[in-house]
Order: sequence, then structure tokens, then C-alpha cells
Amino acid sequence: MIDFAVEFSGVTKRYKHFTLDCIDLKLPTGCILGLVGANGAGKSTTLRILMGLVHQDAGTVEVLGHTMPDQQALAKLEIGFLSEDMRLYGAPTLEWHMNFMRSIYPHWDGAYANSLLGRFDLKAKQRIKGMSHGQRVKAALLLALARRPQLLVLDEPTTGLDPIARREVLGELMAVLADEERTVLFSSHNTLDVEQISDQITFIDRGRIVESADKEAFLDRWRRLRLVLPPNTRLPGLPGVVAIGGSSRLPVVTTNRFEPAVVSACTERGVAVQSVDVMTLEEIFIASVESRREGGAL
Amino acid sequence: MNIAMVKRLIWKDWYLNRAAILFSLIGGMVTLALVASSHGSNIVMILGLIVIVTILIGMGSMVMASAVTERKQQTLPFVMSLPISYVEYTTAKIVGSLLIFLVLWTVMLVDILATILLAPGFPHGLIPFVVIMSVEILMSTCLVTAVAVTTESQGWTVGVAQVGALSLNWIGWWIVRFPDIGGAMRSATVRWSGTATALLSTELAAIALLLAITFFIQARKKDFI
Amino acid sequence: MYTQYKQMNSLIVLSQSDSRPMYLQIMEQVRQKVAVGEWKPGEGIPSIRALAVELQVSVITVKRAYLELEREGIIVTQHGKGSTVARDPDLGPRLYEQEFQEHLRQAARIGMLLGFSEDEIAERLRATAMQLETEAS
Repeated sequence: MIDFAVEFSGVTKRYKHFTLDCIDLKLPTGCILGLVGANGAGKSTTLRILMGLVHQDAGTVEVLGHTMPDQQALAKLEIGFLSEDMRLYGAPTLEWHMNFMRSIYPHWDGAYANSLLGRFDLKAKQRIKGMSHGQRVKAALLLALARRPQLLVLDEPTTGLDPIARREVLGELMAVLADEERTVLFSSHNTLDVEQISDQITFIDRGRIVESADKEAFLDRWRRLRLVLPPNTRLPGLPGVVAIGGSSRLPVVTTNRFEPAVVSACTERGVAVQSVDVMTLEEIFIASVESRREGGAL
Repeated sequence: MNIAMVKRLIWKDWYLNRAAILFSLIGGMVTLALVASSHGSNIVMILGLIVIVTILIGMGSMVMASAVTERKQQTLPFVMSLPISYVEYTTAKIVGSLLIFLVLWTVMLVDILATILLAPGFPHGLIPFVVIMSVEILMSTCLVTAVAVTTESQGWTVGVAQVGALSLNWIGWWIVRFPDIGGAMRSATVRWSGTATALLSTELAAIALLLAITFFIQARKKDFI
Repeated sequence: MYTQYKQMNSLIVLSQSDSRPMYLQIMEQVRQKVAVGEWKPGEGIPSIRALAVELQVSVITVKRAYLELEREGIIVTQHGKGSTVARDPDLGPRLYEQEFQEHLRQAARIGMLLGFSEDEIAERLRATAMQLETEAS
């Protein structure tokens, strides 16, 4: 078993108006990684380079032990890919697509495909062009899942789905991980999904990796502190301060290196700590990106 | 090169375009049958020829444009997520498109030649001219295919297709000016000349060159999406 | 008159609106199941991965919950064999004792953050207990 399903090392890609700059990424086998970024941050480019659809200008990419883009045909045999701008052929039926897949992929699991039809509430004999957006996404996902890939690469898998479809999709993604040799990499700007199911989280903004850590570490380290400063007192220096909001008497401090000692450090200096708030992944992402864009060092 | 995958991709394109292929085939053969039964009436012959050529080029362009269609309908990411390299994709597109065209083209050519040889009222001297013009059409189609695959742009492909169709006329007139060709057209027997051979060789060489250039350009591409 | 309820396969149900971290929710529900006797000492419990898949929650979150529970002595995880409820006859009452202690700590901490003294905190606790007694009767 390979240690890392995906390894990016110093990957760079230059476009006219955008540069993907020195991307390092290591995704261990059996893990699920959520790539979070705003639109245009570079998520899709990163995934395309991963699939060998775009050649990087610099850096190395290894996927399932294969060098990309040179060995992409071999790698793609074990990868299930779904992207937001991907469409299936409109005129044929889902069944036609399934048979097409079956003829290509040796690991195609027909029984699993049929059970997915039921779970996703899809009809095999329906033409793709007659399906709603959500059904098409699920159809494409079915085609990717039923080939039992070692690696699932998904670009915005739940975007535009209703809550039921979303839950179905997330459920199937997690089911893939029941086998600890399978890996999932998905990009999303839906932080709720990422927060729920990811083991590892990576933030990307304006072509650069901003932060990368396991989910629990993220949620543990980031806190929002609401303080009450007595008159004529300055805010004590605290570790890892990313942003300070609120007013001068009632500051709200966002920190990415929280420990309980921080609270005692405040109370010792007469600063009352009104509350220590856990932050959602969305709040963490926004704070992280905003501070970085304003040039703050983390 | 994964031949099996290339074959599957070609089959896929054939399947998706099966209606167009069938209609063109039938339309062409019906027209030819009408021309053959006209017993050499020039007008019918010329009209028939125009119809056939139009069908060939029109349908040819449509199929060739499958490369353009993939990008337009955004099925390209789906195809490229399959276990293929870009070289295999290009091969499938070019070979697949040309194969469809060649089938029809061969049927047409055989049909025309048979009509000239067997049906009454057609001077056999037409044959060299017909052969050269047919290969000319083939060359034009190769050009459209090359443009479709390398640019993936509908604008360019349609533009080149139209230019190709129009220039067919001019090329036709230009070739007829060669005394060895034009003069021989009305004769009852086939008169194959050195000029004819030269023209034919040039056309075939041009086709080979076009395809080579196409593969070369595709191999150099860094962004497929 | 009963309405037909959908049989839920999950033995554990997580609440999206609960603002606490998910691993804490999981821990609490496991503790309760053990305390109530639904999961008996020595009995096998779902593996980390299986529970993660069922709850649609990251493996790493369940892993953390299980680690903390093991540290508390409530479950035992054997590498390659899965997890079981720890064999400890006093687990039930100890669990409640532990929960009580945890809640006391929380109350005391919040009280201190609000600036109450130890006496004030104790006084508030007594007052609350008395109020509960009044409401119960």
C-alpha cells in the first residue's frame, strides 16, 4: 500500500491572469481531504493538474505512485473524477454510460452500481438530457463510484444540490472510506460539508496554500475571545493573534494558537474574559484568508 | 498506445453520430441512383454531383466537429477522466472522424465510378478528373479535421470548412485547365496522364503532412481543459 | 395512537444545531449508552471507521472521541481488533460521578470568568438546587 495517494511538490502553473504558486500537498492513503477556497482561488486548477489534464510549469506530481501527467492513463484507471464543469453525453441514457464504463474499467461493480441507482433515486433508462441538475450530478457520481476507484477526486461535489441529494452524496463519499485503502480528495466552498467529513483540511487562496492541518487541530487552535478591558488598559500581547475587532473597551480577539493559558494570562492582567468562542470552519477560513490578504503574518 | 481504448472512443463517436452517418449514406446513394438513371444528361449529372459533394462535405464537417462539440458541450472533462492519454484521444478523434468519412467517401467513389463505367451515356474519360476531385474533397476534409482537433473552436472549423467547400470549385476549374485532364474528359476511354499522377501524389502528400502536423501540435499542448 | 417512525439505523444521532465540537457529542452519547446499559461491559462497539461512515463524520473525529473515551477508561481499543466497552462493574455510577464533576468544573470556570468569588459560586449552586427542589414538589 502506498503511503500517500497524492503528492504535490512545488507545483506551479502560470496563466495570464492567475498563478498557482508552489503548491505542496500530501494526502495519506485512507484519508479524506477537503480543499477549501473561494472561487478562482485555484482549486479546480489544482485538481486538473492532479488528473494530468493540465501540465504544470514546475514541480512534481505523483498520484497513486504514478508521475503526472506522463502516466495519467495508468493513474486514471484507478481514479474516479467529477468536476463542476463536467457533462455527460445528453442523448444517450444513463444505462448506456454505465455499459460504456463497464467496458473500460476492470473493477466495475455492477451490483454496487444498481444499488446506487436505488439510493440516488435514478432511472437507468432515462436520457441524461432529461435529468435535473441534481440527478446529473448523482449520475456522474455513480459512474465514478461504481468503478471502485482507489482515489476519488471531486470538484465541488455538493454545489447546487438540494439537502436530500447532498446528504446522499456525503453518505456515499463516506462509504468509500469504509475501506481504509481508499482515499478521497474534494474541493468545496461549502465549509459545512468540509467541516463534517474531512480528516484533513487545506485552505487555498489566490493560488497559494494558506494553511493545511487535520480538522481537529484546526478546530482546536482557533478561538474568538471576547474581552472586557478596564479603562486605560492596553490589550496584553497574546500568541497567534490574527485579528482584533470590536471596540477599544470591548475587543474581540481572533487567535489561531489558543491554549487555556491564554485565558489566565488575560485575567491575571485584570482583563475579563467574557467568553471563549469556538469558531466554525467558515469563520476560521474567512479569518485566515482575510488576515493573509492584508499581509498579516500567521 | 492503448488500441482497445482508442477503438472504444471511436465506437463512441460513431454511436453518438449514427443518425447523421446513416442519413448521409442513404441520401448519397439515392442521389447517385438518380444520376445513374438519367442516362448522361449533363444537367442532372452536375446537379447530382453537387448534391453528393454537399452531403459529403456537410456531413463530414459535422462529424469532424465532434472534437469541437466535445468542448462546446463540456463533455471533454468526462472523456479525459477516462484512462487515456491525450495522444490516444487525438488519435481516436482523427482516425474516428476520417474513418466515417472514408467509408462514405469510398462508397461514393465506387458508386460514381460504377455509374460512369456501367451506366450508359457517361464518357469514361471523366474518371481521372473524378478521382482527383474526390481526393481533393478528402484533403479538404482532412484539413477541417485537423483544424477541429487542434483549435477545438467552432468558428475556425466552420470557417475552414466553408473555405474548403468554396475553393473546391476553383480548384476544380483550375484542374480542368490542364490539357491532359480537361481534354481527356470527353473521351470514351480512360486516359491516365502524368499530370494526373503528379496531382494525385501532391494531394496524398498534403494529406500525410496535415495529419503529421496535427499530431505534432497536439503532442505539444500543455493544457487540455 | 402511534405514528409510524422510520427505523433509524444509527444508534447515535448527532445534532447539527449543537454548537459543541462533534467529538464531544459522540463522547457524551457513548457515555450515556454505557451508563444506561445499552452497551454492556466487554461488549464490542462499532469500529472507528464504521461509526464514521454511519454518522457521516470524519474518521479523525471519531478517532479522537474514542481516544478520549479510552483515556477516561470507558472503552478499550485493541489495535486490529476494534473497540469494546471496558470491563468495569462500577462503570455506571463512576460515569455519573464523572459527569457531575465535569459539570461542576464548567460551572465554576464560567463563574470565575464572570468574576464571581468562590463563595458566590457556592451560594448560587445552593440556590439553584433549592429552586429545583421547589419545582419538583
